[in-house]
Amino acid sequence: MSDMISATDLKKHFVLHRHRPGFIGAVRNLITREHRLIRAVDGVNFHIECGEFVGYLGPNGAGKSTTLKMLTGLLVPTSGELLVNGRVPWRERQVHVGEIGAVFGQRTTLWWDLPVIDSLELLRHIYHIPADRFRKNLQEFRDLLELDHFLHTPVRALSLGERMRADLCAALLHDPRLLFLDEPTIGLDVVAKERIRQFIRHINLERGTTILLTTHDISDVEKLCKRVMIIDRGRLLYDGLLDKLHQRFGGNRQLVVDFGEIYEDVHVDGAQVTEQVGTRVTYHFERGTVTASELIGRLSSRFRIRDLEVREPDVEDTIRRIYEEQLLVRG
Amino acid sequence: MRSAFLTYFRLIAADIRSQLGYPVSFLLETAGAGLIISMYFISLALVFQRFDNIAGWTLGEVAFLYGLIEMGFGTMDMIFSGFDPQFFGQIVRRGGFDKILLRPQSLTLQVLGSSFVIRRLGRILQGVVIFLIALSMVEISWTPVKIIYLPVVFASLVCFFGGFFIIGSTITFWTVESIEVINILTYGGSEMMSYPMHIYQDWMRRFFTFIVPAIFLNYYPALYFLDKPALQELPYFAPFLSPIAGFGVLFFALRFWRFGIRHYQSTGT
Repeated sequence: MSDMISATDLKKHFVLHRHRPGFIGAVRNLITREHRLIRAVDGVNFHIECGEFVGYLGPNGAGKSTTLKMLTGLLVPTSGELLVNGRVPWRERQVHVGEIGAVFGQRTTLWWDLPVIDSLELLRHIYHIPADRFRKNLQEFRDLLELDHFLHTPVRALSLGERMRADLCAALLHDPRLLFLDEPTIGLDVVAKERIRQFIRHINLERGTTILLTTHDISDVEKLCKRVMIIDRGRLLYDGLLDKLHQRFGGNRQLVVDFGEIYEDVHVDGAQVTEQVGTRVTYHFERGTVTASELIGRLSSRFRIRDLEVREPDVEDTIRRIYEEQLLVRG
Repeated sequence: MRSAFLTYFRLIAADIRSQLGYPVSFLLETAGAGLIISMYFISLALVFQRFDNIAGWTLGEVAFLYGLIEMGFGTMDMIFSGFDPQFFGQIVRRGGFDKILLRPQSLTLQVLGSSFVIRRLGRILQGVVIFLIALSMVEISWTPVKIIYLPVVFASLVCFFGGFFIIGSTITFWTVESIEVINILTYGGSEMMSYPMHIYQDWMRRFFTFIVPAIFLNYYPALYFLDKPALQELPYFAPFLSPIAGFGVLFFALRFWRFGIRHYQSTGT
């Protein structure tokens, strides 16, 4: 079986009690409670194969972290089937978590007041990592993540980027087969982000570690994942290749033209003028109806063009449109 | 099993190293904790200057009880620091319990290993001093059984209070608002247990006999050690119920803890 994760009709519903404020509210809470059913994850199906690198996207409260908690064995589903790494996560918690790794960008797994190396040593014992494998892995990660200059610094004194690198190292020392990354680049600058992305890609390619990445940073997904899953309101809206998502929902491409002089009428068949500032005109055109070169041909036959640029819609726009216009809502 | 205990001791060692990273705060808090307990005892001694006994108990006898409870509670407070409801409630609220669930080790062991507050040594030490003062003030006719039984009572006390810490921490899975109630039971309970229980009203003594079996951990054993007559007729084995009460509470607490974890895993925070 090559499935690393298989989820069938996975559901997690919560009952939320409304808390009334104040003393009288507290007394009323004791007598009658208002219940509200939250369908955090509401019938999700997907399979992830060994070695895949999948991006998991969705707005806040869409059900991302609830899914993640079920996959890591922290939460028991309301119904449905879930097999991760051949196991039912919450039934064999200790064995399961021994074979997965997780990095939550907002929190550290390291000991706050201890030097990084002490935390890593503690994790060696907690995960029962054989000494030679620990040494080998640590050496590799020290080089790849450039940990050396802060290995003996207490975690509380690390910068966010350093802490994240240390956390990545900590999550991988025991050679997990599956790695969960939750917002691994949150709050980092461009250079630090890129370094972390390179490392993650390396782990996926060289070690064959299956990676599930949840993030708000679309550029993480664009640079790392071929496949994305999009969840909203507890349901999977999309599961497929990132490119296809682009093609289906990519919306309009843009052509920005800088004309040689100011023209009165710059309309052209197949495209819409969306902006005109002096000699600079922006056209929107639909993928499939007209190609960029056709459009440029039509324009250059009528006008003198100084410069032009074709812009692809970015994934962020695409995904925002999917959420906002509910393009993928199933009936 | 052996490796689990090794991991536990490594976790504790790590926490102690963290605490020693702040030496000034460590020293101040240790001294402060000890000082507060001493003040309690000195005020007690001042009361005894006016009345030379409380309901038939001398200062030395009360000090015996007081010292024993302080040592027991202080030791528990150090070993079970991770289950201190105040501390654990924060961990749960900040999502730290997920971190514990994500590690391939026993949850109980990890929580115990997550904190080992060594500044409690101040309180324990004060308890020891008060206990030694008590021994010098009262004439105890030691028998082999008494000598063996004293550490048993001590261990039972640690388990008893530890059980309440675990119960309190488990409740924080549902609500953090109830921590005060648990504090009344643990801190207030240990305070109450420092005095001979026949000074309290009947309903209260019954509560601490049948609902929360505290009386088997302080009053009855103390009667036995000090060879004091009980107010009411006691079954002869009553002083020897300490381990049953102490370990029983801990056992019940661990069952409740398991139940709480199941609840947490079905609802999250």
